[in-house]
Amino acid sequence: MIIALESPVLKQPHPHSVAYLALARRFLLLLLVAAIAPSAYAIDAKRPRSQDKKPDFSGIWETTSPADDDLEPHTARRDAAPSAGVVEGGEIPYLPQALAQRQKNFEQRHTADPKLKGWSLGVPRGIYHREPIQIFQRPRDLTIVHQFGHSVRTIHTNQTEHPDDPNDWWLGDSRGHWEGDTLVVDVKHFNDKTWLDAAGNYHSDALHVVERWKLVDANTIEYQATIDDAKVFSRPWKLTVYLHRHPEKNFQLIEDYRYTLDYDQYYPPKPN
Amino acid sequence: MHALSLLFKQSGFWLALAIGSASTYAFAADEKASNPEASKSNTPTQVTQSVAAPAPALVPAPARRPRETRFPILVSEKWTGPTLADGQPDISGLWSNTIGNHGNLEDPQGGVIGEARRTPLGPRDQRAPSRVTDPADGKFPFQPWAKAKVDAFRIGFHNPTDPSHVEPNARCAPGGVPKSLYWHGYDIQQYPGYVLFVFDNGSRIIHLDHKPHLPSTLKLWNGDSRGHWEGNTLVVDVSNHNGKALFGRSGEFVSAHATIKEKYIFSKDGKRFNYEGTFDDPTVYTKPFTITIPAIKYTSAEESDGWNLEARWAKHAGKAQILEHDERICHENNGGFGLGATETNAPPSNK
Repeated sequence: MIIALESPVLKQPHPHSVAYLALARRFLLLLLVAAIAPSAYAIDAKRPRSQDKKPDFSGIWETTSPADDDLEPHTARRDAAPSAGVVEGGEIPYLPQALAQRQKNFEQRHTADPKLKGWSLGVPRGIYHREPIQIFQRPRDLTIVHQFGHSVRTIHTNQTEHPDDPNDWWLGDSRGHWEGDTLVVDVKHFNDKTWLDAAGNYHSDALHVVERWKLVDANTIEYQATIDDAKVFSRPWKLTVYLHRHPEKNFQLIEDYRYTLDYDQYYPPKPN
Repeated sequence: MHALSLLFKQSGFWLALAIGSASTYAFAADEKASNPEASKSNTPTQVTQSVAAPAPALVPAPARRPRETRFPILVSEKWTGPTLADGQPDISGLWSNTIGNHGNLEDPQGGVIGEARRTPLGPRDQRAPSRVTDPADGKFPFQPWAKAKVDAFRIGFHNPTDPSHVEPNARCAPGGVPKSLYWHGYDIQQYPGYVLFVFDNGSRIIHLDHKPHLPSTLKLWNGDSRGHWEGNTLVVDVSNHNGKALFGRSGEFVSAHATIKEKYIFSKDGKRFNYEGTFDDPTVYTKPFTITIPAIKYTSAEESDGWNLEARWAKHAGKAQILEHDERICHENNGGFGLGATETNAPPSNK
């Protein structure tokens, strides 16, 4: 409903003669939207916008959620803070045999979690892993640089489609479009080498993620991911986390190529 | 060391495969023969395709821009081309070096040092000049100990007996500064306050906002970059460099004590630039030296050659050819050159 109200105003530029009227209409709409918004956050009128009038996600972001410890509700463990979980409905709907694999992953997590090798975290894990990500935005795409591994993900927003090839990528292939002020991203063509968190929740190469990115105020992104994988889950399920803009002065990403730590002592040559 | 031995075995396999397809395209094959990684790709899918194609002669070679043996000198001057909203010269796009890759810096078209050739090299002046443009003799001004180390690397490279003989980039470490600029093609993107380089291995975020450098104790593969535009020239100061990314298969390097000043000088038409990087490291060299790397911009009319232009035409309903690059992730040795290591290190299967 919010989308239907907002989009006619924001999508089309208005001639100067009606600009005042348009502004007034927009103000009223924003008031209305703020009053009925189902989000945990009221929609903020001061959300930044890009040159093409889309919400501007540019910046350095990080979640405060403990989602990466374990997406599901859990009490405190030596390796995880307690959390009510971020999965809608509480638990992930595993198929029976997949649940057994998840349990095995959980028991072996201190050696088997791909994150421990510094490998790419995949989608959506890279988004809520507790390290900053930087988003660079232009009309044709959004580029996400993850501090962890410095892996670079492109979300294409230029009406292009998934390639036909049966590709097998760490971060999948991301095609986005705007539904009002929400960026909706369809992601598929994954490999099966990443996990969804540090507690052994996992997926296969049939993973299909639909993300909904929404700027709820200038410094907060609401990130929702609907996760489908017919080899692992009995139905699609949804998680929600919030990302916060880093407020520190001069904050920047610091490259984190920790997968090189096993061999980096051999370089460069040193005097005998 | 088990993973390493697999890695070497694997590289031999890819070399054999590359030579096997040598008759198809003379120049490309020559480059592959001296560079096993020319047949390496970053996606397992593409690796599979390489192995599964028994008759590469039937596959037409994609058009490939010829390698330059000479290139124009570009000077810093006023920028008269298109600019972005924030005033930066608009130079975004897919770029690649023009004269060769990382096999040999002092003789970029001379093949990997110490490797047998199928065809003898012609006169030196028929090949591109040294990437070292200062000193004038084109030689790295090594201190004796550093020259001895580089000589040892050039021998060990062909039959490694020590982990330091493996080029870190072959293990999927970032190409670093300056090698990333003469490795695969790359994407330069521009945003208010930033120039972003997306390389085949790794990325560089050039900050244009004059913020201070990171604390000097932090040492990074790609260093910490601060830049600004002077007319047609992007001037970049690189600090916090860890010195670990070797310059190429000829083994040159700087230590973590180096200071690096870069100039990216763009031509008037925006179709090419020359990189001039000045490296000063009194712990390794007797004097500063400058490396010059010519680069050209690719257009959406060009088809991927899998190396300099590593991109594909996007699928879409319209008629325009839109180039886009696949994800470039190689931190797990998941390409052909190190595939054995990947399988060794793989986590328990999810299946």
